[in-house]
Amino acid sequence: MLHVSWSTVRGTRCMRLEGVPSGAAVRVMTAATRDAVGLPAMAGTLVADSGDICFVGRYGFVDGTTYLVEVDGTVAAVLERPRVERERTTEVESIRPTAREVPRNLLRFYVLFSAPMSEGFSAQHVRLVDDAGDPIEEALLSLEHELWDADRSRLTVLLDPARIKRGLVTHSSIGYPLRSAEPFTVVVDEAFLDARGVPLHGSARRRYGVGGDERRRVDPEQWTMTLPSAGTLDPLIVGFDRPLDAGLLARCLRVVRPGDGTVDGDMEIGVEERSWRLAPKQEWEPGRYELLVDGILEDVAGNSVRRVFERELGAPDTADVPAAHDARLTFTLA
Amino acid sequence: MGEYGLLVGKADIRSAGPIAFGPEGILFLADNAAARIVAAQVNDPGPQADQEPFDVEQVDLSVASYLGCDPDDVAIRDLAVHPTSQNVYLSVQRGYGDEGRAVLVRVNRLDASVADVSLDGVPMAETALADAPAEDDERLDVTLPMDDEGEELQVGERTIRILRRPIRTSTITDMAYVDGHLLVAGLSNEEFSSKLRRIPFPFTDQVAHNNLEIFHVSHGKWETAAPIRAFVPYEGGRSILASYTCTPVVHFPLADLVPGTKTVGRTVAELGPVNQPLDMVSFERDDEEYLLVANSAHGLVKIACRDIDRQAALTQPKEPVGVPRELEDLRGIVRLGNLNGGHVLALQVGDGGRYHLRSLKTASL
Repeated sequence: MLHVSWSTVRGTRCMRLEGVPSGAAVRVMTAATRDAVGLPAMAGTLVADSGDICFVGRYGFVDGTTYLVEVDGTVAAVLERPRVERERTTEVESIRPTAREVPRNLLRFYVLFSAPMSEGFSAQHVRLVDDAGDPIEEALLSLEHELWDADRSRLTVLLDPARIKRGLVTHSSIGYPLRSAEPFTVVVDEAFLDARGVPLHGSARRRYGVGGDERRRVDPEQWTMTLPSAGTLDPLIVGFDRPLDAGLLARCLRVVRPGDGTVDGDMEIGVEERSWRLAPKQEWEPGRYELLVDGILEDVAGNSVRRVFERELGAPDTADVPAAHDARLTFTLA
Repeated sequence: MGEYGLLVGKADIRSAGPIAFGPEGILFLADNAAARIVAAQVNDPGPQADQEPFDVEQVDLSVASYLGCDPDDVAIRDLAVHPTSQNVYLSVQRGYGDEGRAVLVRVNRLDASVADVSLDGVPMAETALADAPAEDDERLDVTLPMDDEGEELQVGERTIRILRRPIRTSTITDMAYVDGHLLVAGLSNEEFSSKLRRIPFPFTDQVAHNNLEIFHVSHGKWETAAPIRAFVPYEGGRSILASYTCTPVVHFPLADLVPGTKTVGRTVAELGPVNQPLDMVSFERDDEEYLLVANSAHGLVKIACRDIDRQAALTQPKEPVGVPRELEDLRGIVRLGNLNGGHVLALQVGDGGRYHLRSLKTASL
């Protein structure tokens, strides 16, 4: 009498086959492909263990999949890999930008999750809706390759640049995804699966107002600086003339003291990504400092220190910053 | 494989990405989750193939059956054809999340059987993408995460908080090998740029890759940058036709590109609204070279290379636009490769959502 069950052999999950006649041909198929002709058997190895035969899949078994065990060409057993019910614990921590109003030519936003997520679901589960609750169609760039950080807990979502860029067919035929003075909401629905395959604890939303277009280059000369006094641990506060990109802000600014290297401290991005502060680990020394700005720093519409998102040829105010791409603001503490 | 700096090792690919053949049967595999590219000798066992077509119905079902999962748990991310045996290599992601596995699958040209390709104990080399900061990078302190994530690290007398796994990543979308260099297109998950990396092969220790940023002009008026989604070298590698996420198709000569200087390509076509380029391939017929562009909204787009040279830069938005082209009655094609001189190989999604390998006769294209 043949008996097949889930088991382990040498610490690896397997199908344990008891009572298989000696010399019988054993192969494992998936139920979903059983009706197709000539398909290959599942890759794996047969291991003898305590008088039984164990089948170990080379790439493991997939939860929720039904397997057929064939012995000498006949289906001898059907076995489903159970789907483990796990608690929904992952949630959306934030959606950035955090500004209440974004420009009509908003380029990207970030969704930060509390734990690693599964890839391949963003197109179904992240969308823009208007105030009537209707989806804003074709607003987001459809990408086969989703843009995740290394541990898959931050997703970058781009609005379709072809709709934002002036002069392109898409822009001229269907126009901007957003409309000035028409608020919209980013919705992340709870069916988005985390890395364990479990849906989110709940859905998340953030509503934005929509302003005019932002087409100016990011110009650090327009920023304000609130300087601390030497001998204190007070923060240096840099105020921006508009919200900047939350992802890039975290790594594009630093303070150096010429001859003494980078000032060590805790950085914090301010409300609506409109400011940045650095609280030093050690008291500020009196003297001259430099705030170094990486030229790739962008605002929420994709304009950077180096260049505007789209440069109108011949318009002098949109010229790129030549050669040295980075910016530098100096200040002196007394 | 000393000539290419390959050493026997094991490549644990974390995510299945684009693949492309280089010299002497070396396969390049983009591992986006690990921010690196692996070059591996795949030891292809096949004999020299002929000029016959090769078609496989429902290749995704075969792959699913072999990998022991439902067909919906199989994502074929790319294909590459071995230059001599014409065996077809598929970059496959099986399952998702923690259960996801990246598998390199070989479809045998002779009998359409599928098998996985071991990347353990084969000659290999790898290169990290330059965007990942090095641990001794003085600017590590600006890779400070938001909130209190990350960990503290002592560097000299300073304590800095870093993210070991940087939040800034690059996602490779296409690769091609040309004359001692691997060309790599990709998207950053932060800044919006159109960088094309030119990585010397054999890989060297130099972290600084040769980054080229190619701008393009929309209708003579607006000059912009955007990520390159797919591209194809042609004219023996002298020219590149690149297709951008915002849908212009742009030509630039590879030889003219000088790192650190600004390059503006010539927009020769647009793929039209709500469309995305997916893959490109070149082929020759009657001593003429042609390019095919697979895209998400229309049938294959065919462009004669001679027309690209004749085409002035687009100045007016209109549709259809750009160089002369033909919308073939070939829809659902998501990946392309060169099978042999007589055929282009396409991965096509059929009506039922199943994937098929189809040979397109170049004489009929």
